[in-house]
Amino acid sequence: MECHKCQNTCHSKPKRGVGWKWWSKSPQPSLLKTEPIPQVALVGMPNVGKSVLFNALTGTYVTVSNYPGTTVEVSRGQMTVGDRLFAVVDTPGMYSLLPITEEERVSRDLLLSESVDLVIHVVDAKNLGRMLPLTFQLIEAGLPVLLAVNMIDEAEHLGIQIHRDHLEMELGIPVVTMAAALNVGLRDLKYKVNDYVKSACLSGTY
Amino acid sequence: MLSQLAYPEPIEGAIAKLESLLSRLSLSQDYPLSRRSIALLLLQKDPALWQQLQIQETEAEIKAAIADAESQLDEPLITAIAKARQQRAWAIEQTVLSESSQGKTPLAERLHQLTVNPWTGFPILLAILYYGIYKFVGEFGAGTMVDTIETFFETYINPVVNQTAAVILPWQPLQDLIANDYGIITLGIRYAVAIVLPVVATFFFMFSFLEDSGYLPRLSLMLDNLFKAIGLSGRAVIPIVLGLGCDTMATLVTRTLETTRERLIATFLLSLAIPCAAQWGVIVGLLAQKPAALLIWGGVIGAIFMITGYLSARMLPGNPASFYMEIPPLRFPKLQNILVKTYLRMKWYFLEILPLFIWASVIIWFGRLTGLFGWIIQGIEPIALGLGLPREAAPIFLYGFFRRDYGAAGLFDMQQEGIFTGNQLVVTAIVLTLFLPCIAQLQVMLKERGAKVTWAIVAFIFPFAFFVGYLVNGLLNVLGVVI
Repeated sequence: MECHKCQNTCHSKPKRGVGWKWWSKSPQPSLLKTEPIPQVALVGMPNVGKSVLFNALTGTYVTVSNYPGTTVEVSRGQMTVGDRLFAVVDTPGMYSLLPITEEERVSRDLLLSESVDLVIHVVDAKNLGRMLPLTFQLIEAGLPVLLAVNMIDEAEHLGIQIHRDHLEMELGIPVVTMAAALNVGLRDLKYKVNDYVKSACLSGTY
Repeated sequence: MLSQLAYPEPIEGAIAKLESLLSRLSLSQDYPLSRRSIALLLLQKDPALWQQLQIQETEAEIKAAIADAESQLDEPLITAIAKARQQRAWAIEQTVLSESSQGKTPLAERLHQLTVNPWTGFPILLAILYYGIYKFVGEFGAGTMVDTIETFFETYINPVVNQTAAVILPWQPLQDLIANDYGIITLGIRYAVAIVLPVVATFFFMFSFLEDSGYLPRLSLMLDNLFKAIGLSGRAVIPIVLGLGCDTMATLVTRTLETTRERLIATFLLSLAIPCAAQWGVIVGLLAQKPAALLIWGGVIGAIFMITGYLSARMLPGNPASFYMEIPPLRFPKLQNILVKTYLRMKWYFLEILPLFIWASVIIWFGRLTGLFGWIIQGIEPIALGLGLPREAAPIFLYGFFRRDYGAAGLFDMQQEGIFTGNQLVVTAIVLTLFLPCIAQLQVMLKERGAKVTWAIVAFIFPFAFFVGYLVNGLLNVLGVVI
């Protein structure tokens, strides 16, 4: 997968990216050194486009297909937003926090065992109602959640409109609408991730 | 968070009680789940969490609180919780969605019906098998492409390598390591590049196309009843079809199946009756000139798949799995995505087989040099002769154990020399298809299913493969069939 429209930041290799930034601007190098890289996890039901999004964000490639269950293991990559580096984790699909299959267990174990600074819940815009129960569970769990409503192009094709602001208000979490396969909404998502993780870290320390 | 999701009163009561009980436990500060969330998971009887928390002293109280909530509701807690969430989800969807009357495009809907209905779905499946597999992979990949690349190797590469080796290397065995009949370049790399690669490339191209189109889940839906007979749900169609590409990959994907029982049956069938792309590609390519041979091979393998599946489903305790799968929309695949996927799969596959093929060449060279190889082949020879096969067929099985595809490539090579009669070719193809999974697949099986299960499967398959070959050979002889 290639990202056509997004900035070249997502293509730059992490190591070179950091080195480059240090050399050019050096924004608080000491902070960068001591602070661990914030971690963002992509979770959601099978076949909602988590892996497409992962590929687009990190500029790497994991196999993507049009059927549920393609991802059975966790994949890891990195992305940069502005001058910040994030670790991104792609997970196998899960229907709820209560796992039934082994692939779902892999995803939950990740949430339980690793410190995740932001959970991006990826949902299919065409089936919003069926996907929200997992959003509730993630919110209930006290995890920092961002909702990425994916495949809006297909939803619009079916005549479905989603009012993002309404949804944001109802859920009380940030919401992004996007079409990852077409690179629509990626930049918006990155900005929101950047904002959210910054504020989350602050509220964590104070 | 603005508004918290509220559950029915008995559940909320139990949550409050559990939360206060949990606060007494020495949960570490940074446990990632909130108490409310843990309480809800306990109410849904999450076994893994129950173990993790170590709730010894409070266990009785927690159980009492759960039982109390259960008694106040007329449905299981898990259902009540799921209902409350789903209702809220629909309610939110109502307020944030607006739907215009445009509706679904009728073409996609009609196509969906055609693929799912057995009356139209089976003809579609047959058409895909005929054009996609028989014509494209079998005739084009395993036929035209393999012939072209083989000829290129035979006429341009092998003679040059042989001559160069003869000039540069002073010692005959060293020459044989690189060149001549069993050399690393003239045998190992030639098998990998000329025979296996074209077959696998055409198959992965086909598979990627089907994958992205959304056809496979519909195939699962259509085959669900058929698969139930062998103890699998329609879900298992995907690992099984993937097994037609590479059984190693497919064994890993059995993780998507719901029950241990299903995973076990699928793993067993993958290692016994599902040939990988290189294997069946070469076999279809070889047998294509003789449709009767192809039918016998396909019939025997298909029957064994159904019968062993049915029997193992009968013998293994447990309930048949229920079928539930997201059905994604039918999409017209993008050529670029298919090419990227095909390329990456091939790269993965090629990097995995190339060192193994080279190692196999080295081992065979070492075996021949020390006489060990001849000794093992002598051991297999009586079995080969018992199957009515020429003694030259014995090494194929030895190759097949290194890699399924290596054995297939060896079979192809020997057929070129005209060693086999039609009957012998069919018997060899059947035994080789059923024969032991290759080393890579064994490793994945050990990792996913454990040593006990894996060795039990191997102990069954090894004699079984030869037994079936023996049976088929005998039957052909008794019936006087000459292919």
